[in-house]
Amino acid sequence: MIDIKGILGPLSALKFLGKAPHTIDYPKETKKTADRYRGIHYNDVEACIGCGSCGTICENDAIDMVNVGFDPNKADTGFRPVVDYGRCCWCALCVDVCPSGSLSLTKDYVYVDDDPKKFLYVPGLQELGKVNIDSTDDLKELAKIEKENRPKLKEGERSWYQKDRTEGLLEFNRVPMKELPGSTRIKSFAEVVLGYTEEEAFMESIRCLGCGLCISACPDRMHIPDYIQAITERDYNSSANIIYENNPLPEMCGKVCTRQCETACVYHNRGDAVAIRWLKRFTTEQFDDFRTIINAEVKPLNGKKVGIIGAGPAGLTVGYYLRLRGYDVTIYEALSKAGGMTMAGIPKYRFPLDSLDKQISYMEEMGVRIHYNTRVGKDIMFDEIMDTYDAVFIGIGFHDPYDLGLKGEKEAKSGVISAVELLRRVNFGEKVDVGKKVAVIGGGNVAIDGARVSKRLGNVDVTILYRRRVQDMPADWEEIEGAEDEGVHIVPQAIPEEIMLDKNGKVTGIKYVMAEMVDDGKGGRPRPKKIEGSEKILPIDTLVGAIGQQADYSFLPDEYLFKTQDDEKSGSKKGIDTFWGRILVHGYNETTMKKVFSGGDMVNRTADAISAIADGLNAVKGIDLFLQGGKETKVNHSVTESDLDKNKLLDKHYKMKHENGKLVSVKLDLSGNIVTESVKIAKDPDELKKDVEKKEVNKSTDKANSKDKTMSYPTKNTNGETKKEEKKSKSKKKSKKKKKKK
Amino acid sequence: MGFSKLTETKVLLKQYFKDIISIEEGGEQRLIIDLQSKDITSMINHLKDFMDFKHLSMISCVDWPEENKFEIVYILTSYSKNIVLMLKTKIDRKNPKLQSIMSLWPQAVTYEIELNEMFGVFFEGNDRMGEEFILEDWDDIPPMRRDFDSLEYANKNFKFRDERKDKKIIREFISEHYDEWRKK
Amino acid sequence: MKTTKLYLGPQHPGITGNMMIELDVEGNKILKSKTHVGYLHRGFEKLMERRTYIQSFPIVCRICVPEPDVNENNYARAVEKLSGLEVPERAKWIRTMVLEMARLQSYLLWMGGQSGSMGLYTMPQWTIGDRDYLLDRFEELTGGRVYHLYVWPGGVRKDLPIGFKTRMLDLMDYLESRMKDYTKLMFENAIFKKRAIGTGVIPKDKALEWGVVGPVLRGTGIKHDVRIDEPYEIYDKLEFEVPTYEGGDIYSRALVRKFEFMQSISIIRQIMDKIPEGPIYNRIPNPFKWKIPKGYTYVKLESSRGEFGYFMASDGSEKLRRVNVRGPAYVHGISLLEKILPGSRLGDVSTILNSLGVCPPEMER
Repeated sequence: MIDIKGILGPLSALKFLGKAPHTIDYPKETKKTADRYRGIHYNDVEACIGCGSCGTICENDAIDMVNVGFDPNKADTGFRPVVDYGRCCWCALCVDVCPSGSLSLTKDYVYVDDDPKKFLYVPGLQELGKVNIDSTDDLKELAKIEKENRPKLKEGERSWYQKDRTEGLLEFNRVPMKELPGSTRIKSFAEVVLGYTEEEAFMESIRCLGCGLCISACPDRMHIPDYIQAITERDYNSSANIIYENNPLPEMCGKVCTRQCETACVYHNRGDAVAIRWLKRFTTEQFDDFRTIINAEVKPLNGKKVGIIGAGPAGLTVGYYLRLRGYDVTIYEALSKAGGMTMAGIPKYRFPLDSLDKQISYMEEMGVRIHYNTRVGKDIMFDEIMDTYDAVFIGIGFHDPYDLGLKGEKEAKSGVISAVELLRRVNFGEKVDVGKKVAVIGGGNVAIDGARVSKRLGNVDVTILYRRRVQDMPADWEEIEGAEDEGVHIVPQAIPEEIMLDKNGKVTGIKYVMAEMVDDGKGGRPRPKKIEGSEKILPIDTLVGAIGQQADYSFLPDEYLFKTQDDEKSGSKKGIDTFWGRILVHGYNETTMKKVFSGGDMVNRTADAISAIADGLNAVKGIDLFLQGGKETKVNHSVTESDLDKNKLLDKHYKMKHENGKLVSVKLDLSGNIVTESVKIAKDPDELKKDVEKKEVNKSTDKANSKDKTMSYPTKNTNGETKKEEKKSKSKKKSKKKKKKK
Repeated sequence: MGFSKLTETKVLLKQYFKDIISIEEGGEQRLIIDLQSKDITSMINHLKDFMDFKHLSMISCVDWPEENKFEIVYILTSYSKNIVLMLKTKIDRKNPKLQSIMSLWPQAVTYEIELNEMFGVFFEGNDRMGEEFILEDWDDIPPMRRDFDSLEYANKNFKFRDERKDKKIIREFISEHYDEWRKK
Repeated sequence: MKTTKLYLGPQHPGITGNMMIELDVEGNKILKSKTHVGYLHRGFEKLMERRTYIQSFPIVCRICVPEPDVNENNYARAVEKLSGLEVPERAKWIRTMVLEMARLQSYLLWMGGQSGSMGLYTMPQWTIGDRDYLLDRFEELTGGRVYHLYVWPGGVRKDLPIGFKTRMLDLMDYLESRMKDYTKLMFENAIFKKRAIGTGVIPKDKALEWGVVGPVLRGTGIKHDVRIDEPYEIYDKLEFEVPTYEGGDIYSRALVRKFEFMQSISIIRQIMDKIPEGPIYNRIPNPFKWKIPKGYTYVKLESSRGEFGYFMASDGSEKLRRVNVRGPAYVHGISLLEKILPGSRLGDVSTILNSLGVCPPEMER
C-alpha cells in the first residue's frame, strides 16, 4: 500500500517558502541578554572588604586576591579579587557568598581577545594587563573613572547580585540571645543575659565564614575563627584551649568585652555580626573548672621575681603568662577581690560577682600569688617593691572620677556621688541609699551602668542627662536599649548648670538648660548650644556623675616621677613619664624607667579590658626579654605538632582536632602565643627601644617587599619555553596513543 | 491495612537470609542492606529470580581507606514492589575480589569493568575483566581511589597560566600578608 | 563475504557525541559491535570528592549537555535527602517546571537529531530554532542558556521573573501549534516510517533484563515511569498519563516521545495554573562548613531518556565521600547497543543511536 499521506504531508512545509526565517535578524542585531544573564563580573571595589570568600568558594580556582592598591585596615584586607576567565564557569557562587554584596555579575557577554592576559580581569577596575600599578591613588582614581563610565550599572546592568539579605548563601541574622524581661531585671542584680544553649551556639558558630578579619580588629589578636570552628565541631575543650592561648580571662571577655572584633566582622556591613562574644562566653560556660582542660605547660621557677601592682585584667595577664614562663609572680591588689575595674566598675547584672572566681582560682593554682587588700603606698611602699623584684608591672587602672565642675558640687555635703564609686560600693556589697529620685550625668557606658544600678536599688526614678543627642551617646546601643527597657528616662540635649542644695548641704535638685545642636563649622560632629531661657529644675535626691575617670598616681614617691629635661641632663634618676594622665610606654610596654613596665587603662587609649590583656601580653614578652637577657622563654601553651594525613593538610584553614587529650592543629602557632623573633638582647629599656624601632623598620621593608611581589602580578614566565616543550611532547604522546587504538 | 511492601520485603529477606549484617530503611521505598561478600551473589540471584528485583540500576563502589575496605554497592529496583534496594558489602582493599554477576544482567559487565579500572576491584567470572574502558595506558594507581590525589596529578601534569603560577590558597595568602594577624 | 573492521567515531556526524563504535561489518550488515568511550572523561565524580557540597553544585550540570537540569535536580535532592534539608513548596513546583522544560528542549533536540540522521534536514532547522525560544525562557529564569545552575540544595536560586507566566504560556501555545508541522514532516513522513518501523527492535521480554529504561522501555510496551513509580517533587499533584506503544522499534519510541512532548506542555500549563506563592529556598547553614551526617542514598528521576540516578555516600564531613551518576546512556550506549546493533544495517547505526538517546558525557562523566 502506498502511504499517500506520508508522501504528500511533508510537502506542506512548502507553506513556509518565502517567509522570513525566525532565527536570523536582518540587519544583524546584538542579542539583548535577559535581566539575569550571568555575564562578566563587576566588583564595587569601594565596598569590597577583601575577605576572600569569593575565591574560597570558587570551585575552579578562578579567583585570586591581589593587592591593587587599597590600604589594609581593620575591616578591609586591601586585597581585591581578580578573575581568570580561562577558568570561570559563571556559576555566580562568588556573588552569592559575597558578604559585603559588592560583587555582582553584569549582562555583558564574554569578550574575545588574542592576548591571554586580557582574560585576567580585576572586576570593578580594568583588565589587569592594562593597569599600571604604580600607586594607590592611580588605582583608586581608575576605580572611580570606571564607575562613572558605567552609568547604567546601578540601574539595570548588574544582572546577578544579592538584592537584599534574603538572597544569597549567607545568613545575616544572628541567633538571638535570650534575656530577662525589663520588668524582672530591675528587681534584682541577677544576670540579664542568659547565654546560648548548645544548639544555639552551634547555629551561631556555623555562620562564621572563617575569613579572620575580626582578628585584625581584636587588640589581643585572639584566634577567633579557630575557636569558633571548634564550637562548630562541638569540641569545646579545644575551643577553651585556643582561647586560653592569649587570654587568661575568657569568661570576663565573654561577658563584658567591648568586642571590636564584631564591628570588623564581614556580616557587620549588611547584617548582624557573628556573636563572637557570646560564643566565647558559651565556651567558658561549658566547664566548671579550667584546671582539668587547659593543657598549659608551667615551667619550673627560674629564680626571677616580678611584682605586679593591680590585679586588673592587665596585671592578671602578666601574672599568668609570666608564671607559665617560670617567674615568681606576686600581685598587689588594693581591693578585696581581683579583677580591677571589671570587678569594681561593671554592674553585677552584667558581670556576676563570681564570674572571675573560676579563672582566678585557676591562676592561683598555677602559682600566681595575689595579696588582696594591700594598697601600694599605704600597706606596702613602692620603694620596697622596686627593691624586692627584678621587674615591676604597674596596672592600676582609672579609678579616680573627674569632678563635674558644677556650681554647688563642692558645697554639697551629701547626695553627690560618682558613678564609679557607686558601682564599687554596690558591687562590694555596701548598702547605698540614693533616695527616690536620681539623676545621672554623662552618656558613656559608666553613666548607663550607674543609672541601671540605681534603678535596682529600690523603687527609684532615674533620669540620665546628656549634653548631646541619644545617637551621639558613646555607650553601646544595647546598653541604652536595656536602660530604656528598664524604665530609665533619658533626657538628651540637657546641659547641667547648678546643683540645688538645702541649708544642710543636701542635694535637692539639679538645674539644667536645654540645648540645640549646631554645626561646628568644621564638618565635625554637631555641638550643643544652650537655648536661652530653657532652664529647668529636676528635683532629685542623689546626683551621679559619670563624665570620666583618671588614674591615681599618689602611690608613686616623688623621685620616681619623671622630672624636667634638666633633671635628666643633670644625671639624676630617670622617673616614669606621664602624658595627660597616661603613662608613656615603648614597644614592649616598658616605661621610661628601667625595669618598670605598665599597661591597661592608664596606658592605652581604648581603655577596655581586652586592650589591657593585650598590653599585659606585650609586657610579658618585654619582661621576659628583659630578664632573660634577650632570649625568650618558649612555652608550649596548648598546641602540639602533629602529622596530619595528606588529605587533611589540603584544608589547612579549618583543621584542628583532639588527639590523646591534646589539641592538635596545623595552622596555629606552634610555640604558644609568643612568636620567636630574633631580637637582639637589650638590658636597658633604651636599648630595647632602639631594637624595637629597628625591627619596625625591618618590618616595613618586609612589607614593601611583599607588596612588590603581589604587585608584580602578572609576571612574565621565565621558563616558558621549557613548558612548551613539555606540552609538545605530551601531545605527541597522546596522539600516539590514539593511533595505536585505531 | 497490612504491612507495606517495604516492611514485607524487609521481613521476607530477614527470614530468608539469616546472615544479613543489617537491614534498614533509608527513606521511602529504599532498603539498605549490609551483607558479607560471600553472600552477595546468592542474595542477588534470589532477589532477581524470586523477589522480582529485575532491574539493575547501578553497581558502585565507595572507598574507605581508613577501614582498609572497599564497599561495593549494588542498586536493584523492583518495578512491581516499587522498592530500590541498596546491597552493600565490604571487601578487603588489599585484595579486592568479588564474584561477577554478568550472567544475570549484560549491563553488569560495563559496571564491573569500570570498577576494575577506577578502583582496582576484580570481579571473578567476568571474561572482559581488565579491558580498558575510559582510561588509556594508565600507569598510576586506580584513579577513583581516595589515595589518588587528583590535585597533585593536575599540578604535575597541567600548569596554571604564567600570570598565575604563584597561585596560593586564598585564605592563607590573605593571612600571610594582612596585618600579620596569625603571627601574634 | 569479507569481514571488515569499521570504526565509527569518535568524530562522526552520525554519532551523538564523542564516542567510538567498533564494528565488524560484512558488506552492509553488522556482525559485531563494541562501544569505546573515554573521549569526554572529565573525572567529575572525583572532582566532587574534593569540593564542599555547594561547590559541587556547579559541576553536576556539566555531566549532560542536553539535559543539565536533571543532574542539578538529582544532586540537590540527594543532598537534601542525606542532610534532611527541607524544600519550600513553591520551589518544588518551580523545579518540576524546570524539569519539564528540560524534557521539552531535549525532545526538540532529539527530533532534530533523529530526523537528521535519516537525511530529513528541515526538521533540525526547525526544532533547533524552536528550542532557542525555550532557551530564552531558561535564560530569563536562570541566567544561563545551556547550563542553568538554578536548582541547588534547599530550593532554587531565584524566583520567577515578572511576567514569566504569560511568556511561558505563549510559548507553550506556539510549541503546540508547531507539533502539527512536526507531525507532517517527521512522524507521518513516509521516509521516516520506512526507516523507523522495524529497525533497532528491542524484544519486549528482554527489555527489562537488558536494563532498558525510559521512552525506549515504554516503546516496547512496558509501562514504567519514575514519575509514577516514585513521585518526586510534585508529580503526585499533577495529572498525566504514561504512554506505551508496542513494537520496540524506533517508530514506537518516536511515538512515545511525541506523546510525552505534548504531555509536558500540558504539565507546564498545569504548573503555571496552580503554582503556590511562598519562599523559594531554605538556606544551607554555611557554604564552607556545612556538614552532612553519614549516610547513603540513591535518588532517581525520569529524564527525557529514562531513569537518571545518583548514588551518594556521605561520611559526615563537609565533602562528599562518593557520588556515582547513572545515566540511561550508560546502559543504552554500551551493553544494549552491543546487543541490538548486530544484524542491522550500517546506515541505521546513527538512527538507532539517536533513538536510544545515547549521550557519551554521562557514560564516562
